Amino acid sequence: MRNLPFFLTLPAVVISSTAIVASAQAEDFLTVQQAQQVLFPQATLFLDSAISLSDAQLDNIKKIAGVRQRQKVQKAWRAENKGELLGWFLVDDVIGKHDFITYGTAISVDGKVLGVEILSYRETHGGQVRQPQWRSHFVGKTLQDKFKLGQDIPNISGATLSCRNVTDGIKRLLAIHQIALSSAVINPAGITPTPPA
Amino acid sequence: MLKRHLLVLAIASSCFSLSSFADENLFGYVKGSEVLPKDAVEFYQVVTQRSDKGTGHYTAYNTTTELEYGVSDRFTVAGELKGQKINTSGILIDGYMPGDESYGLRFGGAEVSGKYNFLSPALDNFGLSAMVGLDYLTLDPHSGRDKDSISIALDLQLQKYFMEGQLVWVGNIGTEATRATRAPIDNLPEGFEWPTEMEVEVEFSAGTGLSYRFAPNWYAGLETVYETEYETGVAMERYSVFAGPTLHYGGEKYWLTLTWFDQIRGGGETYEGQPSGLHLIEKTEQEIRFKVGLNF
Repeated sequence: MRNLPFFLTLPAVVISSTAIVASAQAEDFLTVQQAQQVLFPQATLFLDSAISLSDAQLDNIKKIAGVRQRQKVQKAWRAENKGELLGWFLVDDVIGKHDFITYGTAISVDGKVLGVEILSYRETHGGQVRQPQWRSHFVGKTLQDKFKLGQDIPNISGATLSCRNVTDGIKRLLAIHQIALSSAVINPAGITPTPPA
Repeated sequence: MLKRHLLVLAIASSCFSLSSFADENLFGYVKGSEVLPKDAVEFYQVVTQRSDKGTGHYTAYNTTTELEYGVSDRFTVAGELKGQKINTSGILIDGYMPGDESYGLRFGGAEVSGKYNFLSPALDNFGLSAMVGLDYLTLDPHSGRDKDSISIALDLQLQKYFMEGQLVWVGNIGTEATRATRAPIDNLPEGFEWPTEMEVEVEFSAGTGLSYRFAPNWYAGLETVYETEYETGVAMERYSVFAGPTLHYGGEKYWLTLTWFDQIRGGGETYEGQPSGLHLIEKTEQEIRFKVGLNF
């Protein structure tokens, strides 16, 4: 105990400095608008259609996807071309080893993954999740497909937790699409989700 | 003065700890099952302060500087240099603490280890790794005197993610066999025993920890370690249970871990007049460990 004040000087200085500079480390690769344009290049309009999920829908999502939906409001945009619905663009955060991984997923009207873009990734290892080769494994996936990491989706060593959570997250977004978007009605306040099955 | 102390600590971090580590450390003492990916390199700097034997004055700093390399996605090797700084006075324990000792940072030994990952906690739902280490020390961590010891350790690390990784549990179990020989000391107190023949010790340990990510990059946790040691001619020499909180920051390029470890129960060999319910001959009442890891 006698040397505690001196001993803690070093970690206290380092940790407080770390807390100050931590936010400055965040690195974003794409904005939401850029990701929308990449995944729906033919779209002329992205209509903000955030989804408010009921408790029953949250339970249903977990039942279908196998993982919990952490937010009650899911960010979503309706992609249109001259009034024609092209699909949905959803932005989601999943837990990485250190920080949240933010990614956008394009889902077709009939519930297929059209593409995935990583908006921010701040982990030590596993930067390969940003590479098109890894993300391409999700294209065409539906809720009926398997999402087993290491079998259906390749794992990236050193970033297994990130890969697993992104993989599970995309399946969860497909579940949200099925529950709340596949027959959703637009109103000025956003999406009015259909009642859970 | 403070600047000099910090410098000593930084260098000292290069030299002592009681075990090796692999991958980012959420905890100060218990270890997770993950290993580095192939060709990844991590640099570790660890400082451990051990203080208070219940009488007199006792403060020791042990340091470790370690480099780890991912040989494959499942196998990591590590090499480390250890050091020790000690300041003790007013403690005389027959056979263990022969008198006052004080010196700055000294080279204390080296260790090499290998860690193999059988199951990944994120891929297989439950993580399992085994680690083997070979450790050579030139200084007795307790008295601070010269003592050559060589140890071989085998540890198992278990790990489980909950809440998509927001909550992490780890469990450790291990054993270590040590062969040690003390150097003779001149001018020992009258009738004081200081055996210099070779001794053999076997240690068993078990530990567990739970860490929760309360904000991006920040984890808070609790950990505990039980250790017991059997020695030539003494049978069970000691047991101890340490427990305490851990704070961890993990960033893209580096991580930090700070652990307060308090001895909450102990037994075995004792010295006259010591506080009851603790083992204070080879252990202290408190330990504080600070780790820094750099990723390459």
